[in-house]
Parts: sequence; structure tokens; C-alpha cells
Amino acid sequence: MSQILPILGQNLFSGLAIGGVYALVALGIVLIYRSTGVTNFAQGDMVMLGAFALFALSEKLEIPYGIAFFLALIIMGLVGYVFQLGVYYPLRNRTYLPIIIATIGAGIIFQNGMLYIFGSVPQKVRSIINVGGTGGLTFAGMFFDYQYIVILCVTILLVIVQNLFFEYSTLGKKMQATAQDKDMAQLLGIPVALMIAFTFIYSTLLGGLSGMLVAPIFFVTNRMGVTLGLKAFAASICGGFGDVRGAIIGGISIGIIEALGAAYISPVYKDAFPFLLLLIFLLFRPQGIFGEKVAEKA
Amino acid sequence: MKKCKSLFCIFLALSLILLLPGCSAPSAPSAPSAPDTGDAEKADIKIGHVVHMTGASAEAGGYEKNGADLAVEEINAAGGINGRKLVLVEEDGKSTNPGVVAAFQKLIEDKDIVSVIGPSPSTQVSAMLPTISASKIPVFTGGTNYGLTHSNCEWLFRFRPHDGMSAQAMVQFALEDLKATKIAILHATDAFGKGGAELLQELLKGKGITPVLVQGYNNDEKDYTAVITNLKQSGADCMLSYMTMSPDEGIFAKQRKQQGLNINWVGSSSIMAVAGRKLAGDALYGTYGVADFHIDGNEKSKKYSETYKAKYGLDPDFYSAWCYDSVYVLAEALKNSPDTKPETVQAALRNIKNFEGVEGVYNFDNNGDGLDQYHIVTNDNDVIKMVKTLKLTRD
Repeated sequence: MSQILPILGQNLFSGLAIGGVYALVALGIVLIYRSTGVTNFAQGDMVMLGAFALFALSEKLEIPYGIAFFLALIIMGLVGYVFQLGVYYPLRNRTYLPIIIATIGAGIIFQNGMLYIFGSVPQKVRSIINVGGTGGLTFAGMFFDYQYIVILCVTILLVIVQNLFFEYSTLGKKMQATAQDKDMAQLLGIPVALMIAFTFIYSTLLGGLSGMLVAPIFFVTNRMGVTLGLKAFAASICGGFGDVRGAIIGGISIGIIEALGAAYISPVYKDAFPFLLLLIFLLFRPQGIFGEKVAEKA
Repeated sequence: MKKCKSLFCIFLALSLILLLPGCSAPSAPSAPSAPDTGDAEKADIKIGHVVHMTGASAEAGGYEKNGADLAVEEINAAGGINGRKLVLVEEDGKSTNPGVVAAFQKLIEDKDIVSVIGPSPSTQVSAMLPTISASKIPVFTGGTNYGLTHSNCEWLFRFRPHDGMSAQAMVQFALEDLKATKIAILHATDAFGKGGAELLQELLKGKGITPVLVQGYNNDEKDYTAVITNLKQSGADCMLSYMTMSPDEGIFAKQRKQQGLNINWVGSSSIMAVAGRKLAGDALYGTYGVADFHIDGNEKSKKYSETYKAKYGLDPDFYSAWCYDSVYVLAEALKNSPDTKPETVQAALRNIKNFEGVEGVYNFDNNGDGLDQYHIVTNDNDVIKMVKTLKLTRD
């Protein structure tokens, strides 16, 4: 059938784009894990908060989209700072367990807080590119949603910028040093608490940004980040927990695997594929694609 | 009589004074606790409401609350039930099966509650059935799964036509009006979606038709590319759907339009729900749906829509409509019953004949089904227009 290629292409494309979102969220989880040794289970809810921030600014207050987007990012930065102040900082000298529970608790508070403020009706946010009636272009029998294209571009751009930032800027290097060895970093005069705060701010920004990007596709609800966060978590384990490249590769592969699994096996088991992959990795390669041994860390 | 009342008031005040300070004073020996004689005439009539305030169904829960609240308000403004006021006691069902069962159990602990308005999702009502049977109190539902009223639970009353009828209406309309030959079925994988899909298959089988595709998907799905490609490949010329969550319908509709799946679509009632339409916009234009509730369904529904819109600034939908009706039907039953004992209310509900509500005309059978009609409606530039009303058979 002549439809075979377009169908494969269509599913690959949506898998790639959704995978990009998983990658961004997973990146946030990994960065926090690297610098603090705890898993932030509220990362999925940062996605939701970002989407609500954009919705409130651009749709409720009717601020022009570009400015609203920028303001929403600032808000998410603040959220990240307050989040680490409230959830991580008071518990920083305890084991990882109380902190993980605290992040789960914070996630529940965020979800119900948004439900309280914005109500339960799903909300709509405009797409970044608004030309033409369909919000995308049809090419060779496949439909390319502009928003999916934007997501892919932003993911690629962010990965490059982030790499440059961590490798070449002083702040980036200090954050890296903190992540690698807190005590050593402290001895060298690096303000560790501040660096960790920066990491939280950046990770929250990443989560919020992915939320703003998916808001026009997913619609904004208080529970939109739940499955997303879990899949991103699975992605970060498959990629190699604590590895930045792993988060990206893991996220994108999970996106593609679930899209193809849904297309060629069954849409009913779509959500199961990422976790099946996770199980396979935990059984046969627990350190993930890029290596850190999860068994020792977690 | 007047003297009697004032005596009772003094007595009540006295017992309150005795009870309030630390409960250390022994209460008056003859204090009437929950009197069921003449004095009870003044007490409010409590109706329980298991309504979702949190979780995935919180949106629908909000509409259900609106409907029930409005009915209670109107009935009380018109003097209540033989002088007694109606009061709703709400409990959060948390959008989950354990949540609704727990909420229901909490409500029936209050022995003054005469009936309980249950949730809409069939899965949850199904989970509640054993508790409902044991509790022996009338429970109202908007869950449309056929089996709910056919599982020997004589306390469940349904205020919407069941899926057997919506499936009948969908098949009849697709075959006779849309002249469909290749039919695909799309359904959510929960009790509602699966039940609906099975009924459709059965009805089609009766007409000698095998669907070209029966496609399930999970609630809360965000990317329907695989579903849409499967539908395209099936070569179907008409799609019948049982989707549970209205936002899912919005997302699916949008992606269906983008990916160019242009076939007739007849959906179960959620296809016309406000939330999905708001999200999908023009992607749902031209689709058909079955609707148990329509603004122009009858005179009562026209009036109801005006009042509802004035109060909440929204068009009413079936969630609010069935809850609104359930309060009115209960009020009617209570007016005709000598007391508020569950058995009496149950019998009075069964005796209701040709009661016109906003959903349609209620005649409860022994299974607990009240309605037997469906409207076919279409989305014409975001205006839901009546196409026709189909009178259907209950079994």
C-alpha cells in the first residue's frame, strides 16, 4: 500500500515531538538529581504550572503572546526558587527519602492549588504559530503540526545552548562542580546552596517551558503533568540516571517507541510501552544507556 | 397547634443549652432525638450528592452540582416539599471508584438522607452497586452503561436513557440517514466505552454488518496519530464513537481534522458536551451525536436553559440536566409519599408516570430506567441543532 510510508512518517513525527517534551522534562529531573541526589517527582507538575502560567497571562490577562511567554518563564524561575526553598532546603541534610516524599507532596499541592484557582474545565492556549486554518502543513500525505515543529526546534536548541552553558560559562562550570562533589566545591569557595538554587530554577524553567509548549496540544488541566512526569522519569532511567545525554536520548526513544507501538501493535497499550521499556532496562541494563549504576544510587 | 410549636421550640432551646457546655450535664431524659412524628414536618429533607470536586471528572462534577443546586433552589423558592425545605449534602467522589464508594458510605451514615444522587461515570456506579444494594436507599445515576440497571439492584434509578438506546439511535441514524456501509467503532477502554462498543457490534450484527474496525484507546490520551492512521487504513465511511472524557474528544477531533480523516462521525452524547466543543472549536463542526438532553428538546428544557444560563453564564449540558431532573423527580415522589422512609420513596419513584423533565418524559420501570428516547443532534458552527428525536425500545 502506498500509505505505508506516510503512516510510518506521521507516527514517527508525533513520537519525536512528544519525545522531545519527555526529554525536556527528564532533563529537569536529571539535573536536580545530579546536584542534590534526589529525584524530583514534582517535575511533571512544573509542566502543568508552566502551562497554567502561560494560560493565565496570555488568555486571561490577554497580554501579547510573546511577552506572556517571557513573563511565564520568569514566573517559573521564581516558582523554582521558592520550590527549592520550601521543599529541598529545609530537608537538605536528611536522607533522600524525606525530600522525595516532600516533592510528591508539593506536586499534589500544585495540582489541587491549580484546580482551586482555575477550576476543573480544561483550558485552551493558542499555538505559537497561528497561520492557516489547520495549524500545520500537509506534506507528502503527512500532517506537520507547527507546534510539534516548534517543540522539536526548541528541544534541539536548548540542548545546544545548555551544553555551551555548562561547558564554557563560569556559572555553568560552578554548577557542574557542585553536582560532581559538593564538599570539594564548598572548599573551593563555590556557594553550593546558591548553585543548587540555580539548578532548581533552571530545572523548573525547563519543566515550565515544556508545559508552555505542549499547552496548545494537550489543553491545560491540573493533571496534565502526571503521566508526562512518570514517562519522563522512565526516560531518565532508560537513558542512564544522572546523565544529561541519557535524558535526551531516553526521552526521544520513549516518545518514538510509544508512538510506533501504538501504531503497529495497539493504541490501547500505548502507555504501557514506556514502562515495558523501563522494565527491560532495569532487568538487563539498570545503569541505562549512558552508564551510571542506578542500583548504587537509588 | 401554635402552642404545640412554641412548646417544641422552648424544649429545643433548653436541650441545646443543656448539651452545649462540654456535654457534662446529663441530657433531658425525654429529649426527642430525630422525631418521626408531626414535629419532623419542619425539618429539612436531606439529599446526598456524590459529586466529583477533584480529579479527572471534577469538570463534569461542577456541572452536576450546578444542576442539582438550581433544582433545589427553585423547589425551595416555591415552598419546598409540603413546607419542608430540600438540602443537598455533598461529598467528594474524587473521580475514582474507591472515592465514590467512600463518599457514598459517608453519606448514608446520615440516616436523615432520603436519597443519594450518584456519579455519572458508569465504572464508578458499577463499583457502588454492592454498597447500594446493601444500603437500601434510592440512588440516582446518570451512568448510561446498560448493565447498571440490569444487575438486580432495585435501588438504582437512572435519569438518562441507557447505552443500549444510544447505540440503537446511532446505528439507526448511521444506516438509514447517513447510508453508511463500512462502519468503524472507536471507544474508550473503560466500562462505558467498552459496553457501548459491544452494544454497537451486537446491533450491527443483527443487521448483518461487521464493523471494519473496532478501535479502543485509553482515557486521557493526548496523541491520537496511531488511532487516526488505523481508522484511515480501515476504509470506513462512518465512525461511531463512545468516548468518555469530553477533553479527549476535543483533542481527538482536532487531530482528526489536521490529519485529514473526513468521514461521518456519530458520537455518544459526550461529543456535544460543552468542554470538548470549547477545546475543539471548528474541528467538531458537522459531527453528529446522540443527545439525551437538548435545549430545544421540550418546553421545560427551553425554560431550564434560560434559567441556567442566567445563573451560571453557561449553556446547560446533560450532566447538569439529569441532576436537575433527579431532584425534581424526587420532589414529585416525596410529595406523593406519606413519609420519607427509603421503601416509601422507592415505591413512589416507581409510581411516577409521564413526569416531564428537561431530559424527557419519565416512566420508571422495575429495572430503574426512566427514559426511552434519544435526540440526534448535529454541531452546526458550534450551535447544537436538533436533527430528529428517536423513540427507542428499552431492551
